[in-house]
Amino acid sequence: MKKILVAMALAIAALPCGSAFAHHSFAMFDQTKIVTLKGTVGEFQWTNPHAWIELEVPGANGTSRRWGIELNSPNNLTRQGWTRKAIKPGDKVTVRVSPLRDGKAGGLFLDIVLPNGKVLDSGLPKDGRPINTPTL
Amino acid sequence: MAAAIFAAAMAANGVSAQEPDNRVPEIPAGRLTQEQLDLLVPKHPAYLGALAPANLAKPRPKPPFDVTGTWFVDLQEGFMKFLFGPPYPKFREEAQKAFEEGPKVMAKGQNYRDSIGQCFPPGMPMIMTRVWPHAFIQLPTAIYMISGFNNSLRIIYLDGRDFSDPDLIVPSYNGESIGRWDGDTLVVHTKYFETDEHWIDLGLPVSDEFELTERIKLIENGKVMQVEYIMTDPQNWEGEWHNTKRYNREDHTDINESECILANNAHLPGTDLGKATVDERDEK
Repeated sequence: MKKILVAMALAIAALPCGSAFAHHSFAMFDQTKIVTLKGTVGEFQWTNPHAWIELEVPGANGTSRRWGIELNSPNNLTRQGWTRKAIKPGDKVTVRVSPLRDGKAGGLFLDIVLPNGKVLDSGLPKDGRPINTPTL
Repeated sequence: MAAAIFAAAMAANGVSAQEPDNRVPEIPAGRLTQEQLDLLVPKHPAYLGALAPANLAKPRPKPPFDVTGTWFVDLQEGFMKFLFGPPYPKFREEAQKAFEEGPKVMAKGQNYRDSIGQCFPPGMPMIMTRVWPHAFIQLPTAIYMISGFNNSLRIIYLDGRDFSDPDLIVPSYNGESIGRWDGDTLVVHTKYFETDEHWIDLGLPVSDEFELTERIKLIENGKVMQVEYIMTDPQNWEGEWHNTKRYNREDHTDINESECILANNAHLPGTDLGKATVDERDEK
């Protein structure tokens, strides 16, 4: 049983699009949902144009699932209190993401609770509201 | 020795072993002569380079403004302001198809022409709507623009040169730009764009007839750069496509090195490559 909590599912008819916040499309993320992941940091890459985390999330019967989590640019993360040493492999953390729409183990970073209890944020909305909605 | 190898290779392919008449001095294994060294340098002998001291020193009228600085796109009207429309022009077949298809594909949770996510450059004009600072350095002969996003380089030549020979130009995502001063406005004409994986907005194509004119002004005491974009592409839309965007001067930032590396994008599930990584992992 995966320790995943689908916290929100606000049905907003919207078309997440080529994000101006990031450098490429966010279409594959369901920004109307939030998934909470408790796991161990496998890898943390602090790089432009995007930082990323590989998170090992334990499941049932000793299994685990490795999640790919996409973060914003360090340029933005720095403004939100991040440093390149904010997390390291082995850290036990809780991460909230907007998941991939097809349920696979990937998501768009929303916020993280560090081992010391400190919360670092993404600056993205957490009310199910996509940051971009084309009005074509 | 190289000539012998060349002749042998030609003969092996059933081609006459006669060597071409326009061969240049070969690069030797040892020391290079001045002539050989000179041939390694890409040159346009007919005119000076933009950074040549003699070109920089030429007498010219004082420009009405200096865009040197770091600029950040003004999105006070919302994130969707990154789009170059609406209003949209009347699209022709291929562009109209993309205009309708893109939102439908993304509504299904898939990327549409996510070329940037695969490290293709956004190119002009999309690069100017990335939410990254852009560094502008204005000299008497040229403006050098370097985006914080993947360090995309664009040069606007102001030294009176003409566009390059169309048979020699290498098309590029930012195109070749020639600027001239028109009163209080800098008018920049750009053409010779690379069209492969080069999109506007959510995936609208550009053809090799795509051309861009920018009318650039500094307003609000030099704190805001206003750019009117006038785009034409007879293969993709009718007439001119007009947009005006603003960029704010940001004095407490700099651009930094930013490289698009596919191996990193393989860890970004929002890209096609990163999604493939996730899919592969889940299948195991």
